Amino acid sequence: MMLTALLLVIQVAAQDPRLERLDPETRSLVVSVVDSVRAVGLPTEPLIQRALEGVTKGASGARIVAAVRRLATDLGTARSALGPRASAPELEAGVAALRAGASPEVLTGLRDARRPPLTMALAVLADLVASGVPADSASAVVLALAPTARDADLVEFRKAVERDISLGAPPGAAAAVRALNTGIRFGNSDATSGQPPNRPPSRP
Amino acid sequence: MFDRDDDIVERVVRQLRQPVSIDPALDARVLKQIADGPARPVAAPRSRFQWRRWPWLAAAAVLGAILVARPWTAGNDTAASSAFQFVLVAPQASTVALVGDFNDWDPARSPMQTAQGVWATTVPLAPGRYRYAFLVNGVEWRADPGAPRARDDEFGTPSSVITVGGNGS
Repeated sequence: MMLTALLLVIQVAAQDPRLERLDPETRSLVVSVVDSVRAVGLPTEPLIQRALEGVTKGASGARIVAAVRRLATDLGTARSALGPRASAPELEAGVAALRAGASPEVLTGLRDARRPPLTMALAVLADLVASGVPADSASAVVLALAPTARDADLVEFRKAVERDISLGAPPGAAAAVRALNTGIRFGNSDATSGQPPNRPPSRP
Repeated sequence: MFDRDDDIVERVVRQLRQPVSIDPALDARVLKQIADGPARPVAAPRSRFQWRRWPWLAAAAVLGAILVARPWTAGNDTAASSAFQFVLVAPQASTVALVGDFNDWDPARSPMQTAQGVWATTVPLAPGRYRYAFLVNGVEWRADPGAPRARDDEFGTPSSVITVGGNGS
């Protein structure tokens, strides 16, 4: 009895004070998800931020808990694809890419093709899809650019595609044409067949 | 020219062949010093203090290795922050707040300042991917028209995303 009470006190004390903005029932459920995610070594800050976003936006407790649970699951999937050494920003960007429609195999391919950090490459992939570029096309072009392009190059590529789309170009065509201008072959499996001259070592 | 060189060589050889005069008492002095033992010990005995230093040195070495390797930053997203300016054109708004993953979605943390309807604020961001939105007049949610939209908005209001690379890009 005393031990249970002590554990409860310890749990409350260890709980993130920011979560006090949640109602008690929602907070309890969110805390249990956060604790389980922490136990497996995944980052917890994204979960807390998602819960706080829900509170600020006036979402119901059930919706907040569902969003936090879904994010926890997706963080696990991203880590499986990116490897145990992936950083928290990489995992978050990986989640965004997965939700955009990239497959876990694409994430693993990026990990093998590009020197870390992968955050920007994953984010550009997600953002391209958000701009309307089909997920397969966006995956292919980012995989092809990944070995040699710098983060700034990827951002410029994304901006160029978005500019073309805003001027009326079909998203898939915009990405394909911009990719061709960078000298990579794009539009079919050839886009991922080129090997970089200095392929970085894979990360476990 | 060769004759001159030969002459120089000849003189050097002659000089080298001259006997070297040594103090006749040198041998005796050396032998006496050997017999008396060394003036100082060749190696000082290891004090207990020195032995106690080893654990500290080992701990320092391990700590140094950890600090250099920084395994907790696997992925090498450097933690240095860069300042990013957020701007929203909202001439009719009376208040605009920037909320996002970088300020715990707290409207009080990043109020925006206006100049003729152009609202702006600057926020330091470490490398990472952040969701954010503008809260206009305390009730209206707006995405950033100049940034990619967050696709996975599960709360029914628009959000944007900003990604900060390792070099602040």
